[in-house]
Amino acid sequence: MNDTRFSNVMEYEKDLWLCARCGDCSLADKIVASNREIFHPCAVKNVLGFEAYTARGRIMVINDLLAGKLELDDDLVNWAFTCTTCKNCQETCTATADGIRMAEITEALRRDLVDKGLDMPKHRIIEEYIEKEGNPYKEPREKRLELFGERQWPERAEVVYFVGCTSAYREREIAIDTVALLDKAGVDFTILPDEECCGSVMHRLGREGPFNKSAQKNIKAIEKTKAKYLITACAGCYRTWKIDIPENGHKFKFEVLHITEFLDKLISEKRIAFEAPNGIRVTYHDPCHLGRHSEVYEAPRRVIQSVKNVELVEMMTNKRYAHCCGAGGGVKSSHGELADKIAARRINEAEDTQAELLITACPFCLRGLHDGADYIKSSLRIIDIPQFLLPYVIKGVIEVSEEENPLKQEFMDYLRAHPKIFDGLKPDAVIDYIIEDDRFHVRIVKKGQIEVNPIRAENPDVELTFSEGAVRELIQIPSEDEYAARFGQFFKEPTDEKWIKFNLRRNIVKLLMKGYRKFAQKAGLI
Amino acid sequence: MTIVKAAKTHPLYDKLVEIVSEERINDNPIIISSYSHDACHLEAERPSIVIMPETVEEIQKIVKICNDTRTAVIPAGGRNGICGACLPRVKGAVMLDMVKMDKIVTLDEDAMTVTVEAGLRWAELIHRLDEKGYKLGFRGPYGGNVGTVGGSVSINSIGYAASKFGPSTEGVVSLEVVLPDGSVITTGSGWNRDAQLFARFTSFNDITGVFLGDHGTLGVKTKVTLKIYPKAEFITYGDFGFRTLEDAVRAFHEVQKRGLTEELNLLTDRQSTDTFFPGFLDNHPEINAMFASIVQETDQQLADRKMEIIRETALEHGGKDLGNFASQMHWSELFNLVQPLYNNGFWLNTCHLRPILRVPELMKKMWEIFEKYKLLNNGIKWIASCLGAERTYATGWVTIFAPTKDKMDLALTAWNEMLDAVIATGGCPYWNGLLWEDHTLRQVDPAFLNVVHTLKRAIDPNGIMCPHVFEGVK
Repeated sequence: MNDTRFSNVMEYEKDLWLCARCGDCSLADKIVASNREIFHPCAVKNVLGFEAYTARGRIMVINDLLAGKLELDDDLVNWAFTCTTCKNCQETCTATADGIRMAEITEALRRDLVDKGLDMPKHRIIEEYIEKEGNPYKEPREKRLELFGERQWPERAEVVYFVGCTSAYREREIAIDTVALLDKAGVDFTILPDEECCGSVMHRLGREGPFNKSAQKNIKAIEKTKAKYLITACAGCYRTWKIDIPENGHKFKFEVLHITEFLDKLISEKRIAFEAPNGIRVTYHDPCHLGRHSEVYEAPRRVIQSVKNVELVEMMTNKRYAHCCGAGGGVKSSHGELADKIAARRINEAEDTQAELLITACPFCLRGLHDGADYIKSSLRIIDIPQFLLPYVIKGVIEVSEEENPLKQEFMDYLRAHPKIFDGLKPDAVIDYIIEDDRFHVRIVKKGQIEVNPIRAENPDVELTFSEGAVRELIQIPSEDEYAARFGQFFKEPTDEKWIKFNLRRNIVKLLMKGYRKFAQKAGLI
Repeated sequence: MTIVKAAKTHPLYDKLVEIVSEERINDNPIIISSYSHDACHLEAERPSIVIMPETVEEIQKIVKICNDTRTAVIPAGGRNGICGACLPRVKGAVMLDMVKMDKIVTLDEDAMTVTVEAGLRWAELIHRLDEKGYKLGFRGPYGGNVGTVGGSVSINSIGYAASKFGPSTEGVVSLEVVLPDGSVITTGSGWNRDAQLFARFTSFNDITGVFLGDHGTLGVKTKVTLKIYPKAEFITYGDFGFRTLEDAVRAFHEVQKRGLTEELNLLTDRQSTDTFFPGFLDNHPEINAMFASIVQETDQQLADRKMEIIRETALEHGGKDLGNFASQMHWSELFNLVQPLYNNGFWLNTCHLRPILRVPELMKKMWEIFEKYKLLNNGIKWIASCLGAERTYATGWVTIFAPTKDKMDLALTAWNEMLDAVIATGGCPYWNGLLWEDHTLRQVDPAFLNVVHTLKRAIDPNGIMCPHVFEGVK
């Protein structure tokens, strides 16, 4: 008889009950039917075929495990480490407000398996090396900063660049180019002399390891520098710093930014700019830990698009619904060929765009995508963002050539002056506004207070598209009630000149929780 | 590649693995576990081995071996049906997971048909047709993100755009079927090897109809030819509320009779609207029932005029114009409407068909059951809705949601009474499966059933295709 106590998995009992096995996580194509870029979301199922590898199948297997209907054996362990925990299934899922949390359930199951002594021997070795050498690559601790030569790092700086194990030991160009970029922008930064693994690998494999000890040591070292920002070019480190370390009770005052967010900030402050000598068509792969896990989608795109003469084209699946590269969630270390095959499919997707270059923003994705390209002998060039940008840095005075759209500006000003329009929406509700192919977004800060940002939202709840005529009329309306009535009219009775359309970006349950019912009622929609 | 290795204990494993590669056959209990349910709570036997065929020839070979050894074969599509139709009734069954057979075989722009492999999902077919400038008639079941064309037409599935085009089976022109002896036939105009697949009813009996709705009992459908239409870009929407269900049903009947809409949906009471669309009726306290109507045409004036007629009809029956937000949401969330309802709990359905004017009779019985078991007091919500279908019948979709495991027994007790009430008020389930079979067999005319069983024996003398289906669950 199996030991059917799975205390970590049982924390997700509600998810296990509410999954009604619709199968969207497995086979959905929502591209035309409901205007979402979802296509066969499970990158693992797309290679391995059988349902057991999808979220729907995994939940059936886990429910059988809990009921003692399956053996706890090597097959089960092998299966448990086939999930990349990429969360594409969760983004696709509309069964609960946040979607069925398969990545978390998978990590919980792994913790239970490890607790029962069921794991992969190679994972034990990884843990030993992280404990002993502060990295999972079996490399000596003292060689971590070898890639920077004899350079001495200041004890204090405004910014700490957290290199991460993969950039320090494997994808060294990323670290070298990140440092070069920061130098070119004149950033006051430093690097920790005794940086430890952030703990991402351990967490993904369901192990504790020295996670808390390392986190404390790293935090202490960063705080000693008096840094305001911690930046990293690794999506895995970023997620760990942004989510896992705080969730484990660690507190710190510095702000964590991914390199793309930091560069986006530098670009907007006119501290750095880029220009490619010739036109180049590129596409971008969203790392799961940066995108779905941390909701950073637009900053990397703004950075890429800031490079003069660069055309960014999207892959069929992108942003929230981008296919995983296959390297994450311990799959690369557990089942290397599976990771390569998943990456190869992502390479094919990138090739379909006719882009010359595939850019990503994570050393682990970069490694995985390179291996995938090798697997199918693809000649597609793959590069990480710092490597892509470095040759294009412009010297001298930086001019911003973009012209502001005056109508967008007027609409933003109008909304700023009429925050009552958004009464009823909960804090952190985000609406993206689209007019004349330009975007801005409104975020609810608290009751009666909104933030109007001139850029596209990272992950909006709803996208509203307005005709020029509709905006021109709306911004003349003095009262919020009249605005709502006219808004409703343009939606319900559109004309060629005055219309409003919407696109829901979150599921209906989540929208209701965020207060959109009141918003719709105020706007005269219901 | 394979990670979870096959157990290789199924007696036919060695023979079957020679037909498909190791990557596409597996009898490991972990893999089997993930094929143990569809999207309902009902359970049957588990398949003993799962195969993912890629070609008709592979299926022919598999079926032939199974026929020679009297082994059960269960074709399965997206496995998100809600009646347990894809679950075996016997041990040792070979399940064919058809989803790798998902190609468009022919797009015949002259005959306006599309021939697809049976494992293609509806949403994906819509995507591919859209790129070519076409639409389907029947658009797919509400689970059409995952539901396959072959699966739907095997169980008389119904859903989007049935209000104009009828259920899934109405759009079928021809089928390619692997028979239990391994031979292949093409129905409709396909009897003539030199003909295009352009018509269903030609020269002989309607053999297509024999296989439609057979629940996989007569063969393995490998290709389906469907009617297509020019893409229609002009859409108008209208939501109308009524004080009584009776008024709503009469207006609904009038609109449906005239064939005005692509999709016409009725919500029978406030509780249903509140569950489906919280807050929608907050500003309309007098409204008890409502319908959402969607018109889709190739011409804007035509779309506008049809919606005007619908509005006039609704108002003539005491209706109130509620705007069009519900119908816009309904249509823009194609194939995503049902899943958010799971948030209310695991669902129990009573899906069936009935003449529109008999909807109030059903609801009277249902409300008695809701009250008898104090469902709302127990946190069990419901949605009662009807989708207009091909002239003047409609689906009866009365669904209750068990919010937690401990409420399931109560929900099941009420649900079983609801199933009886459906049959007693003249309802006919469109699919059968584990959900309905015992109920329908109690009511069926023996002579009718004899014809069904005679057909089965004639086409599948060894009884390998989905054995014991239409013979009762218990």
